[in-house]
Amino acid sequence: MVSACKEKAEKPSLPKIGAAAIDFNCQDLEGQAWSLNKVRGKVVLLRFWADWCPYCRYEMPIIDKYYRQLKKEGFLVLAVNVKQSTEVALAFTAQLDVTFPVPLDPDGGLARRYGVYAIPTNFLIDRQGVVREILIGEVFREEKPLRDLLKNYFPLS
Amino acid sequence: MSILQTLLFSLFLLLNPVFWCVGADYETVIYKGQKLSILRDSLTQAPLIIRGIESNLLEIKNFSKLSRKEITHTGPLLVNKYKSLLQIEPDQLKLKGAEKISDTWYVSYWQTFRDVIIYESSLGFSIDSRGDIKSLGALLYPHVQAPVTSKVGHEEALKIGQSEIKDFKKLKCILLAESVLIYPVKKKSSIDYYRVYAFNFFPQEALHPASVVGGWAVFIDTQTGKKVLYEELLKPLGCCIPEDWAPPKPEEMKPKW
Repeated sequence: MVSACKEKAEKPSLPKIGAAAIDFNCQDLEGQAWSLNKVRGKVVLLRFWADWCPYCRYEMPIIDKYYRQLKKEGFLVLAVNVKQSTEVALAFTAQLDVTFPVPLDPDGGLARRYGVYAIPTNFLIDRQGVVREILIGEVFREEKPLRDLLKNYFPLS
Repeated sequence: MSILQTLLFSLFLLLNPVFWCVGADYETVIYKGQKLSILRDSLTQAPLIIRGIESNLLEIKNFSKLSRKEITHTGPLLVNKYKSLLQIEPDQLKLKGAEKISDTWYVSYWQTFRDVIIYESSLGFSIDSRGDIKSLGALLYPHVQAPVTSKVGHEEALKIGQSEIKDFKKLKCILLAESVLIYPVKKKSSIDYYRVYAFNFFPQEALHPASVVGGWAVFIDTQTGKKVLYEELLKPLGCCIPEDWAPPKPEEMKPKW
């Protein structure tokens, strides 16, 4: 269960809307390796969070609801835990009963590379690997904002 | 990949259990006649996850009629039922949060030691609309051995904590949260438990809800006055700025512990 994120690019650069998302290598809580390049073709919600952030907590079930509904259509959530242990992240995700992959970023290196200074921060990355939205702070406490966002990529009524 | 290659790869995986990452650490136990799936912390052996197999961990009768306060009493009930697995007492729980999202309640607690919160400890679960708890997630410390009094005074510790922040005065840093905590530090085969003064400092400009300026967590050992944790903090950010916004009071802040 030892996991870590390793950044591919050497030079730090902040993502811009319309630019290619920075690739990375990460392992999730179950030991599965993730890389943005390997999930090209999916719509990715890359999310940075920590268990002590109350705003992060209450968005998770809503995000998981849409992940369960749309994963077969190509929706992927990568909820990166920032600077916490595997055990903290495991306990937290079990408490909320969420099913999406939770990569670990124990030293916060990936968060820094993505210019994350506040949590939660979400990046919506399209099927071509391009950053389409950057959402800082709590935005998905209600379903509507997430639903409206995903409507652009999936047939949601 | 051809069908033959796929079959050979599957056979290879079957013959090499080391590759069975997902779920490999779960064990099935019978506890008081109930079949459970448990994932344990490799160091403490305390359960990180407990799931009921073909049964719920707890079924709360007349759940829809319960008040929020009554719902927050569920944690101690659950600990009481699985006490010898969880290896803590119900009165060691302190409520962290209870929130209803859609039809589901999400309830979580810290573990305490002699009424002092253990840093990053947790026990939590969701309760569906029928009142069923299917699983729990926990980070618990079964055999805590920590000092119960402080040798270093609060003011002295605060000064030491402030001195750890570069440009503390220039940045107009403010103490936004503080507490005495038990801070467990995992070593290879044991855990050191420090009783610490925990301080969260933020620059004044971080107080505004829209600011993304971060702060620092500094933990000072109550026995020696030495720093045992220094960490940069990301700013937890809510959704909106209230019209009547005013700088938060320390008790209103969401601290990192």
